[in-house]
Amino acid sequence: MAEEVRIGVYICHCGFNIAGTVDVKAVAEYAKTLPNVVVSRDYLFMCSEPGQDLIREDIKKYKLNRIVVAACSPSMHEPTFRSVLESAGLNKYLFEMANIREHCSWVHSDKELATEKAKDLVRMAVAKARLLEPLEEKEIETSRNILVVGGGVAGMRAALELAHYGFEVYLIEKSPTLGGKAALVGYVEDDVKGSEIVGKMIKLISKNPRIHVFTNSELVEFKGFPGNFIAKIRVNPRYVNEKCTLCGDCIPACPVEVSNEYEFGLDKRKAIFYPYKGAYPPYYVIDSKVCTFCGECVKTCKHNAIDLEMKPQYLDLRIGALIIAAGYDPYEPPKGEYNYGIHNNVITLFQLERLLDPNGPTKGNLIIGGKVPRRIVFIQCVGSRNTTPNSKPYCSRMCCLTAIRNAIRIKEMYPDTDVIILYKDIMTYASDERLYEEAGKRLVKFLKFEEPPKVTITEEGLYIDVYEYTIQDEVRIPTDLVVLSTGMVPRHDLNELIAVTRVSCGGDGFLRELHLKLAPVESPTKGVYLAGAVTGPKNIMESIRMGSAAAVKAMTLLSAGKVSIEPLTAVVNEEICSGCGVCVSVCPYEAISIKEMDGDRLAHVEEALCMGCGTCTAACPSGAMQQRGFKDTQIKAQVLAVFGGG
Amino acid sequence: MSNEDFKPKIVVFACNWCTYAAVDLAGTSRMQYPANVRVIRVMCSGRVDPQFVLEAFHNGADGVIVAGCHPPTDCHYISGNIKALRRYTLFKRLLKSLGIEEERFRLEWISASEASKWVKVVNEMVETVKKLGPLKPKLEVVE
Ligand code: FES
Repeated sequence: MAEEVRIGVYICHCGFNIAGTVDVKAVAEYAKTLPNVVVSRDYLFMCSEPGQDLIREDIKKYKLNRIVVAACSPSMHEPTFRSVLESAGLNKYLFEMANIREHCSWVHSDKELATEKAKDLVRMAVAKARLLEPLEEKEIETSRNILVVGGGVAGMRAALELAHYGFEVYLIEKSPTLGGKAALVGYVEDDVKGSEIVGKMIKLISKNPRIHVFTNSELVEFKGFPGNFIAKIRVNPRYVNEKCTLCGDCIPACPVEVSNEYEFGLDKRKAIFYPYKGAYPPYYVIDSKVCTFCGECVKTCKHNAIDLEMKPQYLDLRIGALIIAAGYDPYEPPKGEYNYGIHNNVITLFQLERLLDPNGPTKGNLIIGGKVPRRIVFIQCVGSRNTTPNSKPYCSRMCCLTAIRNAIRIKEMYPDTDVIILYKDIMTYASDERLYEEAGKRLVKFLKFEEPPKVTITEEGLYIDVYEYTIQDEVRIPTDLVVLSTGMVPRHDLNELIAVTRVSCGGDGFLRELHLKLAPVESPTKGVYLAGAVTGPKNIMESIRMGSAAAVKAMTLLSAGKVSIEPLTAVVNEEICSGCGVCVSVCPYEAISIKEMDGDRLAHVEEALCMGCGTCTAACPSGAMQQRGFKDTQIKAQVLAVFGGG
Repeated sequence: MSNEDFKPKIVVFACNWCTYAAVDLAGTSRMQYPANVRVIRVMCSGRVDPQFVLEAFHNGADGVIVAGCHPPTDCHYISGNIKALRRYTLFKRLLKSLGIEEERFRLEWISASEASKWVKVVNEMVETVKKLGPLKPKLEVVE
């Protein structure tokens, strides 16, 4: 015979938060009238130690085997009360919460109506509690390997943290070099350049035996569950091996010339190339998209370093966690926006950074058309803040500061050059505000606009028309150079990564953290963490911090060596199942298959893959498929209880 | 019963990750809305069997809302919301044939941050149902 159901009900006052609106005594009295309720009490703070003790004592005294607490949201204190049950020797899944604070006392001011609703919510919880069953969490051993996708500052920082604490790290990067965009930008602090930070990190990574770097590599398959994912990596051929000495003899031999993406199109490179000074690994690479495989480079190479027969390689890795730090794309204005792409003297902020870099195409000299510009005008918010029809709605966060930093540097290098910044609002938050002041002291001029300025090309050169907001008047500015302060956009190929990893993106197209404050750097998939500008505009410091944070989250998950899985999984009643396979087609995780058993076709749930959404249960035509903790009978009991039944 | 005395009951099936969290947020933000709704938590909108909805109407619900994360990509379980979307597009047609006004049922996408959308949906639903009056179901629930 089934064990008699004995329910304890506890109504929390939450100080005045609940008791101020809901008549808690009346609700507790009411609960006593419900079938199977053995004891019902109200108490000032159920989550406090004495509140918890109350439940523990009652469980012993009254032999309770189901507990209902009517208090705040389960997202707040469900774990607390579950452990109370556990400590009293009851299975922790024999617990149900009625949310009479967030869903009731805080949103309804009418005492009578709120009390009536609280009674309903308690009745619904009791109805479900009556049908609850003990559930066992499963423990599974986890892998100590971690995959980091993206070799920019965020990914490299994460890799270094992880390796430091003894985890094996696979660091994969889609392009031929580690470093990301940070390697290409200028000063990120007063005296530190992006390339210097990158260089230091690369040095540490190259010497760390626990970090396995794969450049030219992509994640092509990702499945499994937290602690035990399987990742398939495609290592695309580099066509140049480690015998390469960077001598450069192959360069003149190569007949193919294309725009150099590492200089943001400011100069050209060959099909065989070395991305930039300091690129890692330190070998040339052949861009297979443009290479004609003519073999001229092979003939010139004295070191036998070029092998045009290289094929893609595939690696299957068992990993415990994944960190996605895939970065961003710089916003590329469409041809003609502010006359970009039409006039050579209209450039982007990223191009300016290259022109000011000693390793850049002009060796750090700001020379445009053979001479130093006498006037430079920055236009802010290009591609950001809905400034033009093409713009994104968000602020790109780093463009104000980068423009101002560069404006100051230009003033240092060329004091006679006039520098003007056209802005919508200046965002130099926290201590960087001092740079804004500094720029003012150096006579960098700031003009505010609301409507986007107009860049016009004439025979004599460029000029800009802008309606200056502060003086409320039209201003015409002739200029030698226009710098478009371009922002950040999601990677053009981010959708491929989303398709493989099934993380989700927000409305702005960047990957989204589960909760910015309560679950930062977590993705909706447990075991998958996010870092850097792949989640939205970040500066370098913020990306690095996020890399550290993601590493810590991944280590927290894996440090115990095992994970427990919430047992809200699907379970098949084999007596009823007809093997129709509807469940197989709706399961988002490919966790269900149809198996032949003694001539019968039956659905089979791979429990380790089931994440517990219950979609199969809703779709099952016969009711053979059930979700633990959310069975048809349990939910129906709640529905009936809304109307007094159940 | 006069319209004033009519206190409609509206049953809501809310997914744990988006809509339930939005209802919580409405609470922590102390937003006010009519006390006619009773929220039942499920892990995902994909879990909501049309049976439950019919069951609710049959037992006296004057309106039912099924709510989850925004399609296509917000569902915590990849695509449970898409399955719900397909299912309830069909279901709405069925409701009509059962003699239940379509407006008594709503499929809504409410993200964890959209507390104000939740309040708006509840207000609208209560309003609509009050106009329609109580549902006296002559449903044959197909068990
Ligand atoms: S989890 Fe919200 S709809 Fe699937």
